[in-house]
Amino acid sequence: MSQFVENPAHLSKFRLKSDLVAHDVALPPSKSKKEVYVGLHLQHIGQKNAVDFSSDEEDQVQDVSDKEEDTEMPDPSGLTDDDLKAALLELGVKAGPIVASTRALYEKKLRKLLQSNGHGCLNGVEKGVLYSDSEEEEENGEEEDKELGSEGEKEETVKQSDQAQQGSSQVELCFQNGGFVYPQCFLLSSRLFPSGSQSVMPDGESSMSSQAFSITRMVEEMESRRSLSTSSDTEIELNGSNVQKHWSRSNRLDMPIVDTMKNQSLYYTPKASPYKWKMKLTQEPVKDTFKDMFPNTDATTTGIYATRRRPIKGAAGRPVQYAYPDTPVSPTTLEKREVERRLVPIQIQILVFLIVMCLLYLIYVCVEDNSFGPSVALLDSLYQGSDSEEGLLLQAETQDVPALSGQE
Amino acid sequence: MSSTSQKHRDFVAEPMGEKPVMALAGIGEVLGKRLEEKGFDKAYVVLGQFLVLKKDEELFRDWLKDTCGANVKQQGDCYGCLKEWCDAFL
Repeated sequence: MSQFVENPAHLSKFRLKSDLVAHDVALPPSKSKKEVYVGLHLQHIGQKNAVDFSSDEEDQVQDVSDKEEDTEMPDPSGLTDDDLKAALLELGVKAGPIVASTRALYEKKLRKLLQSNGHGCLNGVEKGVLYSDSEEEEENGEEEDKELGSEGEKEETVKQSDQAQQGSSQVELCFQNGGFVYPQCFLLSSRLFPSGSQSVMPDGESSMSSQAFSITRMVEEMESRRSLSTSSDTEIELNGSNVQKHWSRSNRLDMPIVDTMKNQSLYYTPKASPYKWKMKLTQEPVKDTFKDMFPNTDATTTGIYATRRRPIKGAAGRPVQYAYPDTPVSPTTLEKREVERRLVPIQIQILVFLIVMCLLYLIYVCVEDNSFGPSVALLDSLYQGSDSEEGLLLQAETQDVPALSGQE
Repeated sequence: MSSTSQKHRDFVAEPMGEKPVMALAGIGEVLGKRLEEKGFDKAYVVLGQFLVLKKDEELFRDWLKDTCGANVKQQGDCYGCLKEWCDAFL
């Protein structure tokens, strides 16, 4: 709805500031009172509004765009360090010190946030705007067609770009393809529709949103705009895949600008690359497991570890022609066998064990012989196999011994 | 071990002292030259910038890209290198 402004005194200081910037009025020192801004506003803009009343649509658009800008924040370049910091804080970003080297970065960040906010606010329904920029023109164009019923608009741009010089037309298309929505919104601005991309345009541009539309002027503004800020990173990111599609349609890829822009658009895909890195990392461990399983096998030239399958004997009616070696064994079994060869076999171990046990038992018996009588029988049984003389002598001895032991 | 380069490991192993900016991981000859032209001739100057940006990854990457035209991998390597150095020594 048209906002027929206005008593500047009712506007906020920020709004006044942004309006002044939009109309290329030199800003007073930031600490000035509101009255100064009001005065300047009345002085410059008050008159201009009267002049601009020729086209209601423009005013509506301008007001809406200004209003939208104002609800977020004004142009980042025009802010002081403190204001910039405050603006970032309002958007939820805790900024560090804003010094010479960091200022540009924070301004860019603020712009990015403003653009994303603008998209979010205005285009709640037009979600395509957020997701793809290259399609945005088409979407906007389509919606334009639906709502306004004018298809000529888009065709005009194409025609104009065709007619324009090679360089400028390519640049324009490059910018279109690379994610700048400005050309499109320039055309759309002349219509009623306050597209989301509208809010993307800083005030300086909207001020020239004009009846006097010319491509060369647009290109100049593009270049100046470009030098100040690169397009939103989100758009570039999302554009990564869409840019390719769009270029194939346009068929004008000769300009080096295209290449640099493509490089730029591809540079800033931090989200894509970590996924690739993760993929690579997960792939690496898989390759090493086979080697881990069989560490001792000799490396073949081809790296293929394969053992011959034992063929079926007499398969297909053929006799066994080839005497295959024993069933293939795994390297671990081979190791076991080697170890076993070196050690004493189990059978012999058991035999030795038994002999040792017997000997120990005999010794135990001998030791206990003094106190226990029945051990004599055992001794006798042991000495049965010996010669008779020896056996008799032994018997005599053994008899004497028990006698002696008995006496005690 | 994660995928860090030898350069990264060398840098993170000891205080940077007066090492040139090309000692940073991800910063080779070309990028190093560009940084030096901008005045960042020593690694500690880049460290200074990193700290002023409060060790924020996104901001630091943007700054690297704007200053010397580093690509995503180089940005990541440099950021990781400095971050780890800070974790160890700062």
